[in-house]
Amino acid sequence: MQLLDYIKAKKLLEEYGIHSIDSSYVSDARQAIGFSRGRPIVMKVLSEKELHKSKAGLVRLNLTTPKDITDAYNDLHKKAERIKPYKIIVQAMSEPGNEIIIGGRTDPQFGKVILIGLGGIYVEVFRDFALRVAPLSKYDIEDMLAQLKSRKIITHDGIHTRLIEDLIRKVAKLMQDNDSINELDLNPVIITDKGYQIVDIRILK
Amino acid sequence: MANFRNIKSMLKPRSVAVIGASRDPDKVGHVILQNYINSGYDGKLYPVNKNAEGKILGLKTYASVIDIGSQIDLAVIAVPAQFVPSVMEECGKAKVKTAIVVSGGFAEVGNKDLQDQLVAMADKYGITMMGPNCLGVMDPRSRVDTLFLPTYKLSKAQIGGVSFMAQSGAVGSTILDLIGGEGFGLSKFISYGNAAQLDEVDILNYLMEDNETKVIIMYLEGIKRGREFIEVARKAGAKKPVIVLKAGKTAAGTKAAHSHTAALAGDFEVQEAIFRQAGFIIAQDISELLYYAKIFASEPVPNGPRVAIVTNGGGAGVLTTDAVASSGVLKIADFTDQTKKMLARSMPPLVNITNPLDLAGDAGAKRYNDALDALEGDSNVDMIIVIMLFQTPGADSASAAKLIDYKSRTLKPMIAISIGSEYTEMHNRMMESAGLPVYDSPTAAAHSLAALYRYALFRSRKH
Repeated sequence: MQLLDYIKAKKLLEEYGIHSIDSSYVSDARQAIGFSRGRPIVMKVLSEKELHKSKAGLVRLNLTTPKDITDAYNDLHKKAERIKPYKIIVQAMSEPGNEIIIGGRTDPQFGKVILIGLGGIYVEVFRDFALRVAPLSKYDIEDMLAQLKSRKIITHDGIHTRLIEDLIRKVAKLMQDNDSINELDLNPVIITDKGYQIVDIRILK
Repeated sequence: MANFRNIKSMLKPRSVAVIGASRDPDKVGHVILQNYINSGYDGKLYPVNKNAEGKILGLKTYASVIDIGSQIDLAVIAVPAQFVPSVMEECGKAKVKTAIVVSGGFAEVGNKDLQDQLVAMADKYGITMMGPNCLGVMDPRSRVDTLFLPTYKLSKAQIGGVSFMAQSGAVGSTILDLIGGEGFGLSKFISYGNAAQLDEVDILNYLMEDNETKVIIMYLEGIKRGREFIEVARKAGAKKPVIVLKAGKTAAGTKAAHSHTAALAGDFEVQEAIFRQAGFIIAQDISELLYYAKIFASEPVPNGPRVAIVTNGGGAGVLTTDAVASSGVLKIADFTDQTKKMLARSMPPLVNITNPLDLAGDAGAKRYNDALDALEGDSNVDMIIVIMLFQTPGADSASAAKLIDYKSRTLKPMIAISIGSEYTEMHNRMMESAGLPVYDSPTAAAHSLAALYRYALFRSRKH
């Protein structure tokens, strides 16, 4: 299986009306500073050889000053030497909120499987998730959320129920349309007061 | 491909050939023939054995199925594995409609080639085949029983509306034995073994359409045709209650997952999702499978989640309230003012008019009757749990008879909790055989009502 390039994945999501946080590849610190324009940014190393970026120290958060950005770039550039080929990506900082995961998988026997759950780095610890096999009915989508222990946290007491249902519907459509996608993770999707922000995308073909 | 609609000829055959029939009581072919005779099967029965002459169990024996010379609806094949393909060919030449291959020794022990040969032979002649390596079928209405289990070892189920399909013969016969001890009866038992030709999709499809089957219960190990299964499952779940026990929860998940989604969504989880989407009721173990079968066999779907609890023991009432409240979907009903007034008039002063309604240890038939009268008309009550502890001074056979009488009249789902030993068990059997499901624990009762209500929700949804 092969990891789809991040920016390509981002564009594919965009075609389905799924917006992810502003992101760009950079090849030096100057470009990263240009991307920042004084706002706080995140810098990450993307490599197929390291799937757990945070744990490996390949993510730097909340960088604002040109000095911080330059130091971070130099640091990540050095650390990434061992996992070539790699790319360095910068992203806008997300707003605070609750982290969820929305995912998809192609099951060889049953077809497209769609997942929603409590997300972030604890996703496999709490294992609070719901699965359904596409095509999904309106009821299936509602029932997925109803099944989660953390539904109140995830939906902000129901305020964002529609928003999340809509995201699930779009991901299901994307998975059904694209037979070559084996696995898809949107994790975390941060549910903020205003809406959602997708911070990380992983699509495996 | 064979005509899968022919399953009916297996379950309602007018003529049966038992191939591998034997005079030796230790042989499977003997037991099968004996069981047919014992159960009073009234169609034509032909023992077939290439070595035997004369009669087996008083019936004329044939050297080959071809020699019978009249229509055979079902051939039950119990000869050593290596002979089965050629026996199947003879069945084909004799225009046998269906075959159940009881013999083992095929794919389950690595003999995939032999199994493929067998399927090819059945397909060539358009024979609908169950097995190999299976127990076959039982249908108490048509008195068909291809099981090679000695009848004295197995409780005989009454005729009823629950059909049970099982891949495994051993788990299948264990559950079948337990069903024999239950008040609800059996419609069909189908153990389909290696599923080389007929598989779970065909059988589920058949039971879904079968008018004698009100409830389907199944024990599943694997699913062969994924998308077809989903399609049939969704139709079946919309048509009648399907209760499923799936083995393999702890099987190794998706290997080498690259994403969280793949790591979480293993085979078992995906299959559970399919069951949920189809409205199936998922049982966690054998006892839950039977609890659910019991409630779905007799109870109507409730109009809502509100439960009234009537008890003759305070503690049991509290335990049941806890179980109901923690079920996730059920609610403790608030009685209407009218109900409260009725109860205040009919109950002695020591009875506190609240839910759970504790009738006290001296409550007998009359007090239960008055309480149930009030609840039946209460628009805030969707389901009723009656706890009857027979160790109390008031509860006796007349009280049990009153519950049975009430059960026959109420339109609301009603179940009983009754816990105890001999005296209790005697009354439990009485109540169960009259169609009142009895549970031996508040948790089992609450889980079962919750499953019933979830199914009601599923049925009422907009598909």
